[in-house]
Amino acid sequence: MNIVHQLVIILPSLPLVSALLTHLLGGTLGRRVSRISVAGGVASFLVAAILLGLVLSGREVSHVAAGTSWGSLLFDPLSVLMGLLIAGISLLVRVYSVRYMAEEAGYGRFFVLLDLMTAALLIMVAAGDLITLLIAWHLIGVLLYFLLGQDTRSKSAYRYSFWTFITYRFGDLPLVLAAAVLFHTFHTWSLPEIFAAVAADPDTTTFFDLPVYEVVGALIAMSAFARSAQFLLHTWLPYTMDGPTPVSALMHAGIVNAGGFLINRFAPVFAYTDNVLHWVFIVGVFTAVIGSVLMLSQHDIKKSLGYSTMGQMGFMIMECGVGAFSLAIFHLIAHGLFKGTLFLSAGGIIGEARHDDGVPKDDLYTFIIERRPARNRQPWLLMAGITLAIPVLVLLLSHLLVAPNLFQKQGAIILLFFGWVTGAQLLFATYNMRSENPWRLVALIVFSFTIVVIGYTLISHAFDVFLYPDPDFGTRLYKAAGIDFGWFVILVVFASAVIVLGWLRAYYTERSQGGRSPSHWWRNFYVLVWREFHILDIYTGLTRSLLAASARVNVWLRWG
Amino acid sequence: MADLGFMFIGLFLPLFPFSMVFNAVLARTSQPLLRWVLLLAWPQIGLWTLSAHAGAIPSWLVIWALATSLLYAFRLLAMREMGRWTGFLATSAWALLWLPSYAGLPASQLWSFAAGFSVPLVFLTLLAQELERQYGAAYTGLYGGLARRIPRFAGVLVISVLAATATPLFPTFFAMLHSLIVSQPLPAVGLAGIWLIWSWAAARLLQGLIVGPAEPRPELDLGIGTTWGYAAGLVGLLVAGLILSGSRL
Repeated sequence: MNIVHQLVIILPSLPLVSALLTHLLGGTLGRRVSRISVAGGVASFLVAAILLGLVLSGREVSHVAAGTSWGSLLFDPLSVLMGLLIAGISLLVRVYSVRYMAEEAGYGRFFVLLDLMTAALLIMVAAGDLITLLIAWHLIGVLLYFLLGQDTRSKSAYRYSFWTFITYRFGDLPLVLAAAVLFHTFHTWSLPEIFAAVAADPDTTTFFDLPVYEVVGALIAMSAFARSAQFLLHTWLPYTMDGPTPVSALMHAGIVNAGGFLINRFAPVFAYTDNVLHWVFIVGVFTAVIGSVLMLSQHDIKKSLGYSTMGQMGFMIMECGVGAFSLAIFHLIAHGLFKGTLFLSAGGIIGEARHDDGVPKDDLYTFIIERRPARNRQPWLLMAGITLAIPVLVLLLSHLLVAPNLFQKQGAIILLFFGWVTGAQLLFATYNMRSENPWRLVALIVFSFTIVVIGYTLISHAFDVFLYPDPDFGTRLYKAAGIDFGWFVILVVFASAVIVLGWLRAYYTERSQGGRSPSHWWRNFYVLVWREFHILDIYTGLTRSLLAASARVNVWLRWG
Repeated sequence: MADLGFMFIGLFLPLFPFSMVFNAVLARTSQPLLRWVLLLAWPQIGLWTLSAHAGAIPSWLVIWALATSLLYAFRLLAMREMGRWTGFLATSAWALLWLPSYAGLPASQLWSFAAGFSVPLVFLTLLAQELERQYGAAYTGLYGGLARRIPRFAGVLVISVLAATATPLFPTFFAMLHSLIVSQPLPAVGLAGIWLIWSWAAARLLQGLIVGPAEPRPELDLGIGTTWGYAAGLVGLLVAGLILSGSRL
């Protein structure tokens, strides 16, 4: 066995050993037992970094098999990159937890569960066969249930961790069925062998003459939707805030991203689908929009953060839906780091809020008490023109720099479209900011936006080259995600018109200082959004009905 | 005549309403040893009789078995008494043995599947008896807080429930996976649904027992030796699962 294979095995083994030692020595070492977990985390991170270095130095992709039908691990760019992310975030969470959890009961158990979770995640991303993947996928849900329920006195913590658990279990089953279909078709559990067979015969059919890749793709997408909180399978995410903060950080920064990883892992299957990626796109867009709308309407900051993650997950799934698989990985890494930081710094922000509420003062207050001049407004039509034009120019120029054939890919155009929306929204927000020198502020924001876009474009291009070096394969993914050109143009023009009209209305409303009070229809809509579309009420009612029906059946059949 | 033979086997590899016999017998058996024997031997009798039976299993029997399993899984959701909960889970799990039997899996493998389902249920029976001894009843949702009161007991209980409801890497997981692979598409979907309901029922059982504040009253947790005994049994189950899966999947 060469050094690479040894490191691939050592990486998930380290947290397993750390969990075992933490459990066995917990009674002897007391609170100091966390040092074992942190040391295991440091070692895992170093091993993951070395593995990434080996991939970057040009080592061949390989497969470490145990000689049985399952238990194999992959050494490829995707597994190594995800491994480094997981090891890094897990290490930060462990270091943070050493003091954060010091006053909590079950200190040792917490670190054991954290180590086991890290091991399960590392095995999941490196799984080289379907059974290993299924085992890790299933165990993550179980371990998360107990991590979120760390406080065994809290019934509400367990109530909400149960929602997470049952949604994850719901998401496990399509993956099990997909594995069964693949095994029936190819008579192997090995992922590299399955992917080679897929490329050799893209027209394989399964039972009832269904195209095997459509069936498998749809099942895997369903599994990813449950794990990444897509609309209708999202209710667990905003409510699982009763768990410890480090677990929330780990969940929002790492675990919830598993949907994007899963779709990427099965990219060789998705490349031969016809319609599945269109549905993935629709679900992703819908989730992104609904998640953002719900985030804006919530008064509870924790729920708001949960819905923010839901919106981001929608965006990540949408990127897969347009064929930009590597971009989804970049997105999940960026979001993981950003959201992890946000959660881990939540305590500090609460502390600061106790000294300063951070509520902005109104114009009259700043003018009279703070003696600052009132904000200077520019003509709304001029600002609207800048808002619409500048982002599109920056985006086009930076993308043409790395990919001159950009407009041949529909997915890339859609992503540009979203970049334009984001950039314009940023400038629109500038219009509402209070500044003595608005032109300076606009110039700074345009400059920052340009830097971010160029950085994003270059990094995402690097990810594409790193994860999917075969340009034909990338083109095939975009092709699988493409739709009829006529429909594509109509949809883009329609979406642009809706967004531009919305902005113009918002500019106009802002200019006229609010104008009329909201209509009855608008208020009802706001209440509906605030009540989260009553989805939770429907699920709760359904659950109660099922439990009542079960109790009735037990009464009828009380003899046995 | 062959169908009548299957009806008889349906007593042991449960088919509703014959399945009610096992649950009635289990509910009326107070002797611990007899309960363990019932849990271990009942499905094995069914499999032994099935292997001796000459006729091929008709496809409608698979649907019947699946419906029986679904019925008892559904009944698990509202069952609060741990002894009967164990009986219902046993019925739901053993009924599924018809699926791999129909697919023609070798008898030795079916016996190992049945044993894999039975052993964690024996553990649960032992734990239920311990609860009855301490609290007078083994009811979920009645007292709670076991994780704080008797943490070793709660730990063993959690892992035993996970082992019984087909969590990786226990033999039940591989038995469910194998049954799913050899099934036709629609029964496979049904089996996946039953698996989901087991998880739901397991979470309900555990939440009602382990979660809650610890009351200030002296209670006896499992001894260190007993805990190690349970741990050894559960690790043995894990190893059995790994060996079975490595050689047969």
